[in-house]
Amino acid sequence: MAVFRRGYERYDGPLTGPVTRFMAIPRFAWGKILSQRFVVVLLVLSLFWPLLCAGFVYVSNHADLLPNLGGMQGPMAKLLEINGKFFAVFMNVQSTFAILLAAIAGPGLVAPDLANNALPLYFARPMSRWTYIGARMMVLFGILSLVTLVPGLFVFGMQASLASTAWLQANWWLGQGLVLGFVLYIAMVSLVALACSAYVKWRVVAGALVLAFFFVLAGAAQMINQILRVEWGSLLNPGFAIYTVWCALLGVEAVEDAPGAWECFAVLMLMLGGLLAVLLRKLRPVEVVS
Amino acid sequence: MLEMRRAFFSKRALWVYLLALFPAVIFVGHGISVKMQRSEFAGKSVVSAAVLDRVTVGTLDTEVLAAAGQPLLDRSWERRDVKRRTLMYFDGSRRVWFEFENGALRDTRRRELSSMEEDRKIYAGMFQYFYLRLAVFFGCLGIFINLFRGEMIDKSLHFWFLAPVRREVLLLGKYCAGLIASAVIFGGGAVLSFGALLAYQTNADLQAYWQTDALYHGTWYVISAMLGCVGYGSVFLAAGLLLRNPIIPALVMLLWESINGFLPDLLQKLSVLHYLQSICPVPPPMDPNVPPLLRLVLAPAEPTSAWVAILGVLGVTALVLYVASRAVRRLEINYGTE
Repeated sequence: MAVFRRGYERYDGPLTGPVTRFMAIPRFAWGKILSQRFVVVLLVLSLFWPLLCAGFVYVSNHADLLPNLGGMQGPMAKLLEINGKFFAVFMNVQSTFAILLAAIAGPGLVAPDLANNALPLYFARPMSRWTYIGARMMVLFGILSLVTLVPGLFVFGMQASLASTAWLQANWWLGQGLVLGFVLYIAMVSLVALACSAYVKWRVVAGALVLAFFFVLAGAAQMINQILRVEWGSLLNPGFAIYTVWCALLGVEAVEDAPGAWECFAVLMLMLGGLLAVLLRKLRPVEVVS
Repeated sequence: MLEMRRAFFSKRALWVYLLALFPAVIFVGHGISVKMQRSEFAGKSVVSAAVLDRVTVGTLDTEVLAAAGQPLLDRSWERRDVKRRTLMYFDGSRRVWFEFENGALRDTRRRELSSMEEDRKIYAGMFQYFYLRLAVFFGCLGIFINLFRGEMIDKSLHFWFLAPVRREVLLLGKYCAGLIASAVIFGGGAVLSFGALLAYQTNADLQAYWQTDALYHGTWYVISAMLGCVGYGSVFLAAGLLLRNPIIPALVMLLWESINGFLPDLLQKLSVLHYLQSICPVPPPMDPNVPPLLRLVLAPAEPTSAWVAILGVLGVTALVLYVASRAVRRLEINYGTE
């Protein structure tokens, strides 16, 4: 048959499974991201704090071996206690590394596809917009888990194994709070990175925008609070909002006179909704050139 | 002209304008709120400041009501079996809130309707913590990185290189275009926010400030913002030229500037921010969010004298531009790697 007589018709051969299709993007992207030297350096740097915390957990469970500290009595016991505050501080420090990683790794995920008009190539396959976003988020979820969830669970697991069963029974919800808090945080940071990447199309500018999102909003929130003599300005600061939610999840007393956990959670949901809307608006399989 | 038009009027410039004008907008909003409060409290009953100042922690709410009379606000509620009550009074210039728990005074908050002194400190904090550290930083990042890296991403840099102009001259031209745009935007932003700060002050306060420090302070704030554009601009221009991913040096610089206050004196002087803060007329108040433990290690270096600071930033800029000019001369365009 002559070539010009061949019409395009739907592929009717065997399809790969939905999970394999979903994981196709992360599989290649992870390799590419982990080949960047700066990402590896950041990953290594991000492990120092968990190691210090693990050391602290060890000391707190072996304080009786240090006679100079007076065992686990008195003020030292309070200082060495592993509680919600300890995990809140741990999460706070690790979250900074997550932002830096997202600023480096995130912009390269969507921007090149948009800049090179490659989206039709993805959407011509059995892949919806939601699958595409989910797969791209999965890439960041995997990378950011390495600095958040994995070390967090390691430290929690270490404490659970070193302390008595009674500690685990009384504090299992700390582990639950840690996982929920980090999952929410990863979702937010990933959406910020993807939305910035889709919004500006340029990898370099998108990286700057991710940093600006967190740093400038934090500064702007502080400025509003100071100038207007209010407290609600803190709601604009995603770092503060997520920290307040973490404190609620870990049973830690949050900042006094500041917006509560539910208000912060609502604002975070609004932010996530807005970022998702930006992503959906920018990720279209067709482009209208006027 | 082409670059300047792009820096002033492109879609991306909107974000730079937003950063530069945001403080002015907030100060205007605060000004409106203060004026509304002044007119609201103008006809309200005034309680002598001496009476309100005599109230101490532990005083009963009935005693306060007997001494100060009917409050402007009386709110009661119960939470976790604790009865809480808030009474608010006005002494002509300040509002005073008394917070009671189970009938006894727990806390007192005082807030002036407006205080020039306090506003000036807040402006100094806003200018150094937000404007210089974040707005000028990210604004310059957006403007100056685009000058070369943006052209490479757009695959249009070769058009510039085909023009019969030496590359060093091209680099200088692009830098001047970015500098004029950023200096006008951020200098203008500083003028507007300072103007907004003065706009709602009382006539007496305004006149006193105007006759003493207002012009001096305003001028140095503007110079400081412009000098920030000079310093950060040159660094980001060079970063955009020398590196494929200029975000990494920007990130390092941002972190370096953020931890500046915690570093030893000598290292503090290796940052643009130190010199910009040195020429700011009012030292910033301590960030209230800094934890007490960190406050102990926070030791800002002695400010450098204004002229040394200006010459220092200009000298570093000249050096960075020289390095960039050497780099642009050897630059080979390879769009494929972008």
